[in-house]
Amino acid sequence: MAEERTQTLRSLHPLAWWGWAIGIAIAVNGTTNPLLLTAMALAMVIVVLLRRSDSPWARSVRAYLLLAAFVIAMRVFFQILIGAPSGTTVLFALPQVPLPEWAAGIRLGGPVTAEALTATVYEALRLAVLLLAIGAANALANPRQALRSVPAALYEASVAVVVALSVAPQLIESAQRVRRARRLRGDTARGLAAVGPIALSILSDAIDRSLSLAEGMEARGFARTAGRPITGTLTVMLVSVLVATMGGFLLLSTDAGWLAGALLVAGVVGVGVGLRHAGARLSVTRYRPQPWRSTETLVVASGVMIAIIVLAVGGLDPPALSSQANALLQPTAFQPSTDPLAWPQLTGPMLVVLALVVAPLPLTRPQHRQIPEASRRELRTRSPRPHAELVRR
Amino acid sequence: MSSTTVQPLQTAHPARLSISLIVALVVGTVAFCWPLFLNPSSGLSPILAPLVFALVLPMLLAVVLTELSSGRMDVKTLAMLGVLAAVGTVLRPLSAGTAGFELVFFLLILAGRAYGAGFGFALGAITLFTSSLIVSGVGPWLPYQMLAAGFVGLFAGMLPKADGRVEVWLLAGYGMVSAFAYGWFMDFSFWPFAIGEGTQLSFDPAATPWQNLHHFVLFNLATSMGWNLGRAVTNALLILMLGTPLLRLLRRSARAVKLRPTAIPAPPPAE
Amino acid sequence: MISFEQVSFRYLDAAGPTLDQVSFQIAEGDLCLVIGATGSGKSTLLRAINGLVPHFSGGTLSGRVLVNGRSTAENRPRELADVVGFVGQDPLRGFVTDTVEDEIAYGMEQLGIAPAAMRQRVEETLDLLGIADLRRRPLTELSGGQQQRVAIAAVLAARPSVLVLDEPTSALDPTAAADVLGAITTLIHEVGLTVVLAEHRLERVLHAADSVLWLPGDGRVVAGEPATVLSASDLRPPLAGLAELLQWPETPLSVRQARRRVLAEGLLPSDPPRPIPPVRSAALTATDIGVRYGDVIAVASVALALHTGEVTTLLGRNGSGKSSLLWALQGALSHTGSVSVAGVDPSELSATAARRLVTLVPQTAADLLYLPSVGAECDRADADADAASGTTAALLTELGVALDPDRDPRDLSEGQRLALVLAIQLSAEPRVLLLDEPTRGLDYRAKAELAAIIARLADGGMAVLISTHDVEFAATVSERSLIMAEGEIIIEGSTAQVLTSSVAYAPQLAKVFAPAAVLTVTEAEQVLR
Repeated sequence: MAEERTQTLRSLHPLAWWGWAIGIAIAVNGTTNPLLLTAMALAMVIVVLLRRSDSPWARSVRAYLLLAAFVIAMRVFFQILIGAPSGTTVLFALPQVPLPEWAAGIRLGGPVTAEALTATVYEALRLAVLLLAIGAANALANPRQALRSVPAALYEASVAVVVALSVAPQLIESAQRVRRARRLRGDTARGLAAVGPIALSILSDAIDRSLSLAEGMEARGFARTAGRPITGTLTVMLVSVLVATMGGFLLLSTDAGWLAGALLVAGVVGVGVGLRHAGARLSVTRYRPQPWRSTETLVVASGVMIAIIVLAVGGLDPPALSSQANALLQPTAFQPSTDPLAWPQLTGPMLVVLALVVAPLPLTRPQHRQIPEASRRELRTRSPRPHAELVRR
Repeated sequence: MSSTTVQPLQTAHPARLSISLIVALVVGTVAFCWPLFLNPSSGLSPILAPLVFALVLPMLLAVVLTELSSGRMDVKTLAMLGVLAAVGTVLRPLSAGTAGFELVFFLLILAGRAYGAGFGFALGAITLFTSSLIVSGVGPWLPYQMLAAGFVGLFAGMLPKADGRVEVWLLAGYGMVSAFAYGWFMDFSFWPFAIGEGTQLSFDPAATPWQNLHHFVLFNLATSMGWNLGRAVTNALLILMLGTPLLRLLRRSARAVKLRPTAIPAPPPAE
Repeated sequence: MISFEQVSFRYLDAAGPTLDQVSFQIAEGDLCLVIGATGSGKSTLLRAINGLVPHFSGGTLSGRVLVNGRSTAENRPRELADVVGFVGQDPLRGFVTDTVEDEIAYGMEQLGIAPAAMRQRVEETLDLLGIADLRRRPLTELSGGQQQRVAIAAVLAARPSVLVLDEPTSALDPTAAADVLGAITTLIHEVGLTVVLAEHRLERVLHAADSVLWLPGDGRVVAGEPATVLSASDLRPPLAGLAELLQWPETPLSVRQARRRVLAEGLLPSDPPRPIPPVRSAALTATDIGVRYGDVIAVASVALALHTGEVTTLLGRNGSGKSSLLWALQGALSHTGSVSVAGVDPSELSATAARRLVTLVPQTAADLLYLPSVGAECDRADADADAASGTTAALLTELGVALDPDRDPRDLSEGQRLALVLAIQLSAEPRVLLLDEPTRGLDYRAKAELAAIIARLADGGMAVLISTHDVEFAATVSERSLIMAEGEIIIEGSTAQVLTSSVAYAPQLAKVFAPAAVLTVTEAEQVLR
């Protein structure tokens, strides 16, 4: 038991994983270097494979890899089909089909150049790594633990999410039971005709459940400590959201970066304070709250460092630097040229970035299975009714 | 029971709620339409741009959900919200991957209609959130999806009064309209993200909003029409087929949810 | 501890009051048993203790309910959470979180208890109910008995002084039920909790009860000593039936009490005469039936025969393969070996054709119902079975259950729903009827009615196989019994032989009159008069 407890204590705070992943997601905006991007993707996959738990969402990384591959394929496909001409190295040419006037003079096909294709692949790779970073956070951070860390003001919403996550598997089971049972009645309708009755029975089951659940929650003191909603916070929060939106708008539409940034930060702070204040009406406590320790700070710091290095070094203006600094930092390598084509390079700062991507590995421990294999087997025998083996007729 | 006798489930104070929903509408419009005002001088790439609002929108959602739930949502409504979100969570993976055959939205529409706009909004946002955890759909688009689905449920609760067959047709029509609106807004905000730069149909920050819109429409017709149409037809068909019994079921339980003790007389005097 | 003073309660749309001028008291540290037929208001009474009635249910309550000096009129159920712990019938439906530990902590989180104190109480509660090894398990993976113990732990963590349980064992098999009831008695004896418990199967708990509340169904509540109240009540667990037969003034509460009395009175009956069963033709023969799920063998090479006009019961603990065997016999579950009904194997037929040979009423019979009214269900059943219109409705009347065709099947009582499903399944005129756990949630009267229905069907020439945990029901209804363990049939023979040969499956009267094989009150009447 002691052994088991140490292991859980060592699981990282879910928000730390998100901080690390968001750092990476922001960093990819500062580079199109395919070597760096591919290496970052590999490094993240390694971290995920070594540090994920055995929960269902831990398996999601596969889905994100597929999505990333799909994004690259789709972009290449569109580049070949309707790509704008650029560069001179024609790889092959498709027959050209001009579209009518209303279609903005677009033509399908035409010559496909190595320059355009390379630029597309670089761009797509960047998006793929961004998706992968989110996938990694998804696989590593336990959403249930993350829900325990939401601001108290969102307590009710988080309860609704917890309920939904717990009830969903039960509803699937009840739907399967109903399907099996209906065959006993000689009712073998399939497709849309079958959806109706099954949807009705799932829904009525769900509604019955919601009443017994509510009864249980009420009897166990739900919302007992809730005071009256605090007035005034809503105004503060709504104004803050508007301010933040204004900041976002300015960030996108003007070059007033500082003003926009200030507005965004003001908005975030305003909402944060408002939520904190609104949450004060509720004094529920948390069982075994996930502690935030130095490890968490270090993991988030590595994410922040990744973003800073890539954006700062990649954003340097080479002519303004001394030749030594240029040789050391090689800022241009973060955006390798595609026209003319040039081989991308891995530079010193990039190696630092890669080291930071895998930094969580030495800081954390593998997540062990929470249930020993033996009792898992026992469980399987105890719930002996998988439904796949029903006779289909 | 006629639809008019059922009051919406209690969520937030009506006036306060409508203010926050108006703000949500304004912020949502800005967030979804960012490609119209992205300026090349800002130095933001079209990949980073949607991320800016992917950070603003969660704040908006947090504020609106706080307002919807804070202290006024009683435990039965909350349990109903959680359980219906579970139903949506079960339905979403069933339908993912099959072109446009999405089963989530018709439930949002019927629940929004039966239980009111505030409930519809909360259900839309929460359903999309939980189902994304299950189908590995978490990404920068998630806050956009939550907001858009919230609005699908919200407007369903604001449709004009109608009864019987008329109501079902009204909802089916709304199902088609909302399916396209949802699809277009989501596609528009992630169009630069999806196709990338350097094609003739790409988003071009330097071009006029009108040109970009034109390119988007073409791109969308070519790539997403099937999905949007599929979603619209699925919505309409399911509502026409199941609308009447499901609405009856939801309304019947709305009565159970709203039951309150009619009178608890004072205790008898002690002897 | 708990006092009801002149309490009346009426649901919003109800014609009459559910509780009518009820007054009684429950002393601290008592186990108080609430008995009464389905629909007599047991649940209402229990929910009135912590204020779920009327705060949650709606309706009008008058009079005063005091718990530990606090009135439910002024305190909502949530405010009484640290005084009254409430556990409902199906624990899984009341769980808010998904693991054992979180569920136990949930109530304390609501009360705002400090994390350190909470941690300590969780550990204590886990030990108290002996579920420490389950702490990180997902709730859905637990067995029914474990789930119910977790539900009890979850309310106990808030340290209430009263525990209210609404039929906590109705969905459990006997082993799990004993498990839960054992945990409850421990709590009474070692923690000094006051427990109020509603239970259908009185024979399981009567011996531990300090007081009994009987709800005759007309809004009254009769309170008092268990033996007295039970003698006055119309509920007839086997020992009460025996007491009535022998005109004992007080009902014995345990087998031990009854046996002592029987011995003292020198009543030593011989085996009741049993007619030698007529030779019957086989309606269903199964050879070498096997069912496996992955590496788990649920049914291992079972051979059995069911005869026309004979009722057979299938006993065995949970997970012994009873349900799998029934589904395989119906042909709905893929299996090895062969089944033959009138020379045909139902698993080779379409679902529609198979149910004309063998029909199955599954454990959760309500799964078969999905239409909005009883009438619609009947019409649909007629159409599915190609039967003349009105067949199912007529069957339903024949079963002795008259239902308004406009009623919503979801509003029916457990017994009425079972009858409706039975009628639907019988509309296909099968030769063999399989029933999986039909007595769950039925009260004594409903069980007696079901037994009568089954007897009529068997007289009409149908072969019936019932899987059940309820040995008293098996003793009443069947001629032949089988016991399954680990996927095999381990004993097979006449019900009297099978049930008296094992301690675990012996009905109460068989224990009272051992070694004589007296199974039911009817048989006791035969041998004693």
